[in-house]
Amino acid sequence: MRVLSSEAAPICAIRVLLDDYTACLDRDELERWPEFFVPDGIYKVLSRENVERGLSAPLIYYYSRGMMRDRVTALRDALTYEFVYTRHLVSGTQIARLSDGAYRVTSTFAIYQSTEEGVTRLFCVGGYEDRVAMTPDGPCFAERTVVVDTFGVLNLIAVPL
Amino acid sequence: MAHHSSTHKWPTADFTRVPYRVFYDADIYRSEADRLFRGPHWNYLCTETEISNPGDYVISYVGETQVVVNRTEDLTIMAFINSCAHRGAQLVRRLRGNTLSHTCAYHQWCYDTKGALLGVPQQRGVKGKGGMPADFDKAKHSLKTLRVETYKGLVFGTFSVATPPLHDYLGPKIREQIDRIFDRPLKLLGYYRQRIPANWKLYLENVKDPYHAGLLHLFHVTFGIYRPTMSGRVFMDETQGHSVLRTADIGEQQADVNTAYAGIDKYRPDYKLQDPSLFDVKPDYPDKVTNMILTIFPNVMLGQVANTFQIRHVRPKGLREFELFWTYFGFADDDNAAVEGKLRQSNFIGPAGYISLEDGEAGRLVQIGVEHREPSDMSVIEMGGRGPIADIDTLSTEVALRGFWKHYAQSMGFAPTGAD
Repeated sequence: MRVLSSEAAPICAIRVLLDDYTACLDRDELERWPEFFVPDGIYKVLSRENVERGLSAPLIYYYSRGMMRDRVTALRDALTYEFVYTRHLVSGTQIARLSDGAYRVTSTFAIYQSTEEGVTRLFCVGGYEDRVAMTPDGPCFAERTVVVDTFGVLNLIAVPL
Repeated sequence: MAHHSSTHKWPTADFTRVPYRVFYDADIYRSEADRLFRGPHWNYLCTETEISNPGDYVISYVGETQVVVNRTEDLTIMAFINSCAHRGAQLVRRLRGNTLSHTCAYHQWCYDTKGALLGVPQQRGVKGKGGMPADFDKAKHSLKTLRVETYKGLVFGTFSVATPPLHDYLGPKIREQIDRIFDRPLKLLGYYRQRIPANWKLYLENVKDPYHAGLLHLFHVTFGIYRPTMSGRVFMDETQGHSVLRTADIGEQQADVNTAYAGIDKYRPDYKLQDPSLFDVKPDYPDKVTNMILTIFPNVMLGQVANTFQIRHVRPKGLREFELFWTYFGFADDDNAAVEGKLRQSNFIGPAGYISLEDGEAGRLVQIGVEHREPSDMSVIEMGGRGPIADIDTLSTEVALRGFWKHYAQSMGFAPTGAD
């Protein structure tokens, strides 16, 4: 049996964080979504077109749990958008420890949407670029940047990616 | 060539009715390519900021036709159809770049930035055989160019010799509003793209419609960017094909808001943001305008929503889909706080924005709804009144849609009502 290094426990915990994040969104448990972040955590969605050209305009830019909760409230109570089921497929995760004790985590994702009539379409592909902080409550996103290759957005982005 | 549309009359002389056919009829769509996008109209192409140096180019669209816009060595702007004069291949293969000559990948025919053919490989043949005919004249095989004119850094193109000068095409009322925003050099912040599953004209209807803005968009209403009880004005140019919707946070009384939204769930005075810092941004202008939507016929919109400034180019992609291509900009003299404010307020706009995402959904809903209606069925556009189409000092109106459809019907050759 391979000997587990001292890194095994935090890496396992980070993988659980990623899986739980995906499950939260795919199960429509949006109210839990801000809790994956530290209180002043950053959630950004960027178009790969802008990133590659060094242009700063984000598709979404939240820099507090409060802003994330506001998005969830708006999604639940206010915004008009098509009802869909979503499935995230996440793979290729790479985890590296940084000198300040946080972790840099990158993954590839594909998100499928299925309509109320059961028709499925590929909605979005891209990459997650995370900075994960180890807190007393376990690992949390200090920053989750979502870079979308599908920046010719299929109509609109409503729920978080 | 006979145009299908001349055989049809528009249903009402005051354009309070719009036949749903215009959103799903393939013949009408084909005629638009000819009469609107190749007709006597100026088509938005890009901003000068994006092509500031000699050789800079971008690919844009006139209707569905791909067009290359580039800065020449003598600093003029030229635009040409992105198709080689030889066998028609797409000539420029990347969306943006810098080059002083364009070479076709297929047979290496080479053009300068003005579209003139510079070189044809093997023109005189190989080993004394083959080659082009002796009288082949490169000067007769340039790229298909467009007329190009600019106004305040906005670049437009047209295929028609009949299009009036851009200055006159815009007219004084529209120019004045462009002057307000484009009063200093721009700084490009980024692009957004949406593929909206609707006919392109549904987006023009949407952005000319102040009636929906306070009803579909709770965010507008609740957070005071836009309410019909604010000071509002809708006005048009002489053709009534261009329009401006302007909202200023002036003279609003809470009692009027309460009356206007009595019984409407969408307005929730108790609704509070946990983190309202995205509203904590200093205004860019002292005039208290919170929302300004300017549309230029046929298919571009310049907009201000709070501190955000954008160009939205409506690019048809077939009868039932369009790309909404956003160019989001600030100003070259913005300080760090102003730039940060614009990045925060990007949360209002674009495909994921609190306000704009709902307009994509509105287009989808209308396209689904009208798709299988009876050929004689029509929409009802009477908010603000029937009869003459005129500027009005209220946001409780759809009159700018009627102006758009009037100019559209004239441009497309729909016979006026009452004609045989």
